[in-house]
Amino acid sequence: MSAVATPHAPTVSARNPRLESFQTSNLGPVFFGLMVAAALSAVAFIAGIFIWPLKQVLFSLLFGFSFCFTVSAGFLFWNIVHYATDAEWSVVVRRIIEAGAQSLRYVWVFFIPLLIFAPEVYAWMDIGPGKDVLLDGKRAMMNRPFWTIRFFIIFPLLALIAWKLRKNSQVQDIDGDPRPTISSRKWAFAGLPIFAIGLTFGAIDWLKSLDHTWSSTMWGVYIFAGSAWSGMAALLLITITLKSHGYLQGVVNEEHYHIMGKLILAFTVFWAYIGFGQYFLIWYANIPEETSYFIRRNAEGWNILSTALVVGHFFIPFVLLLWQQLKRNPNYMRFICIYVLCIHALDHYIIVLPGLHWAGVSFNLLDLASVVLIGSTLAFFFLKNLAKGNLYPLRDPRLANSLALKN
Amino acid sequence: MSASVLSPSATPELHTSRETPRVYGIAAEFSSTADIYHAAEQVRDAGFKRWDVHSPFPIHGMDDAMGLGRSRVSLIALCAALTGTTIGFVLETYPSIIEYPLVVHGKPVNLFTIPAFFPVIFELTILCCAFGSVFGMLALNRLPRWNHPLFNWDRFARVTDDLFVLAIEADDPKFQETRTAELLQKVGGKNITLIYE
Repeated sequence: MSAVATPHAPTVSARNPRLESFQTSNLGPVFFGLMVAAALSAVAFIAGIFIWPLKQVLFSLLFGFSFCFTVSAGFLFWNIVHYATDAEWSVVVRRIIEAGAQSLRYVWVFFIPLLIFAPEVYAWMDIGPGKDVLLDGKRAMMNRPFWTIRFFIIFPLLALIAWKLRKNSQVQDIDGDPRPTISSRKWAFAGLPIFAIGLTFGAIDWLKSLDHTWSSTMWGVYIFAGSAWSGMAALLLITITLKSHGYLQGVVNEEHYHIMGKLILAFTVFWAYIGFGQYFLIWYANIPEETSYFIRRNAEGWNILSTALVVGHFFIPFVLLLWQQLKRNPNYMRFICIYVLCIHALDHYIIVLPGLHWAGVSFNLLDLASVVLIGSTLAFFFLKNLAKGNLYPLRDPRLANSLALKN
Repeated sequence: MSASVLSPSATPELHTSRETPRVYGIAAEFSSTADIYHAAEQVRDAGFKRWDVHSPFPIHGMDDAMGLGRSRVSLIALCAALTGTTIGFVLETYPSIIEYPLVVHGKPVNLFTIPAFFPVIFELTILCCAFGSVFGMLALNRLPRWNHPLFNWDRFARVTDDLFVLAIEADDPKFQETRTAELLQKVGGKNITLIYE
């Protein structure tokens, strides 16, 4: 089953931890490849300004941004939850979670063009007072200055929590003092509402307000469900990849894969529950302020993608993740994680792009280039961050429980 | 090869009317979780299949120590859940699409109305799955039943208080009265007793 487990994996115990750090010295080609990918897609974007309308460029950028931001926020969520629930199982993979959450320090840069050219994407910014009754009722929230200020409140706060949790974790590696864990727990409790409110406002400001007439009370939770789902898939994918390259031998095993697989399954169901809860009530009540989002996404070719999303985001992964033996198989789970990330991209494609191509699906090279640009940049910094300090928390008080994990 | 390992207080008074009461199995007492855990591992390794461990509280990892493997409750639950899904689907689609279509606030009368059916399909799936799990578990445990041969042994009552008991059934293919009793003694069992039905 576990093809990556080496026969001579050294035994690691909490009393006798093996110093292990992520080596970037032989990753030169990887870093070079990431830089080339980012540079090529950046060139595509600059060229795209002259080829396609500015709107297309900005919408493609927003698609890549929302995809990468939600995955990064998923990492932060699992980092916060680790401390808030005093979790044991996730200690051995926490450095990966921490390095992933640091992406929030960089991803905001890619939103700056959207801040500058916001009215191109968010049409309500150009509508003056008195022209739209629905918009006038939302002016307190939906005005450009406050919208911009919120952006500069949300990101520093999220990045601060991610930075502090990692700082505490690394300080503890020096002498095993339990106080950083206590401190992180306090930060996690403070961070939970900040994360929840920040992600909700982000989801509303950057995605939902693409159509200012639409209302939905489920939107923040819907974005969160996909965020936690894809964040966990990215974490498992990175963990499996690291292990197949010889890291974390004797530290991470199929018990950890199993737990992460269960969490992906749980959030598959959670996403379906939230997604259906949102759709069902809107579909049933049939009120114009609420149906606009789904009408657009069930017409003119978007219909096919929406149906594919329902099947691909819930039914297929639900069945694929049901059998417990398969969740312990790293090769199988690697496939599942890549699939999950692809479907998460489809989810955000359907969220963002109908705002531009309301007449039907129209793929653009920049949609792909945007994910590559932001994704490879974040991957570059992720690898740099992962190489700082040890690859797992050597002196965490709960390391022994995490090593001896049993499902 | 003497039977002296066995405690003398074996014959139950309940069955004095019978000529030769049938042997249910052999039980042994243990005084701690660690003792019975390691005893279970050795009984498992000796190849016994029909035997059980009784303790005042659940012991973590005992299923592994006993070599129980996976429970079949999940399979029963899956089948029951799929039955529930099918019942819910047919119960709603057949009358409202085929037998007696009703147009309710302009929604189509075909499979695209399926969101309206989801709550009932979902609830029936969950209900049948829960019933399947609970009753499947009871059936696999052969419950409910009026009595159990182990209750013929008066010391067994202490298993709800502070005693750990390991009992090997006579139906087990490897069961041999004296040798099984010796095995139980070897793994640390005390007060080894022959239990009659």
